[in-house]
Amino acid sequence: MKNYLKSLALISAFIMLSGGLFLYSGLYPMGADTPHNQLTYWLLETLRERSIARAASDLEIPNDLNSSDRLLAGGADYNDMCTGCHLKPGKTQSDFSIGLYPVPPNLTLTVDRHDPEHADSTGSDNETIKRQFWIIKHGIKASGMPAWGSGHDDERIWNMVAFIQQLPTLSPEQYQILSARRNNNGGHH
Amino acid sequence: MKTKTLTFTIALSTLVFTLSAQAHDPKEHMKDAKAPECAAMKDMDHSKMGMDDPVMQAIMKQCMKDMHGDDTGEEESHEDHEKESDTHNSEHQH
Repeated sequence: MKNYLKSLALISAFIMLSGGLFLYSGLYPMGADTPHNQLTYWLLETLRERSIARAASDLEIPNDLNSSDRLLAGGADYNDMCTGCHLKPGKTQSDFSIGLYPVPPNLTLTVDRHDPEHADSTGSDNETIKRQFWIIKHGIKASGMPAWGSGHDDERIWNMVAFIQQLPTLSPEQYQILSARRNNNGGHH
Repeated sequence: MKTKTLTFTIALSTLVFTLSAQAHDPKEHMKDAKAPECAAMKDMDHSKMGMDDPVMQAIMKQCMKDMHGDDTGEEESHEDHEKESDTHNSEHQH
């Protein structure tokens, strides 16, 4: 038993020392043009998804999420704040969508097309909606996704979520009309 | 004492100014805003859009002014548009 504990302690010390040496060696490629290896990707992905799912689980979705007023208010904000990375109908790529890592999801596609792994794991639409609200409000560390909640109230963020739900169904012409900013659709609801 | 009050006042006003500047005001975008191109509605496939569809309702709201050429259009009801839509559809059928 004593030998067993001694071996366990030695192995643990070796793993920690090796990990520390690797950390300080600078050998891990940090450039956004080199994808993570599968283990790092899985660890980060799992950490992110579990954290968001837990934090978003208590959110309450507004009953009027499908209202046209929310669509109009959210469309204008989406056009101003999101298209650079998440694209719009008729646009398939941008400098940000090509260069960022992880690649920002193309929100003109349905969830099962722009993020098939995630679509499989979440199951319900409500979870997706809550997840989208939480991500827009709080952002995601080290991903390029900012926390919009610092300058936007919850209603404005729900408006954007409402618009994102309809985005995959819109043609470029419909998108232009809905995202144009008139004096009466400036972010209020 | 006066210096303390002055420092506090300056610090407070700086804080208020900074916080207000952080908020993303839609008016910031008004000068770059493009008007909705409602003429494109003519080429849309209206048969796929119901009046209960929130996208259709939002497009109608956005284009109301352009369709009627004045500000009174917003007062018009959905029933009126349904009639217009029916007329439009029946014209297509003939």
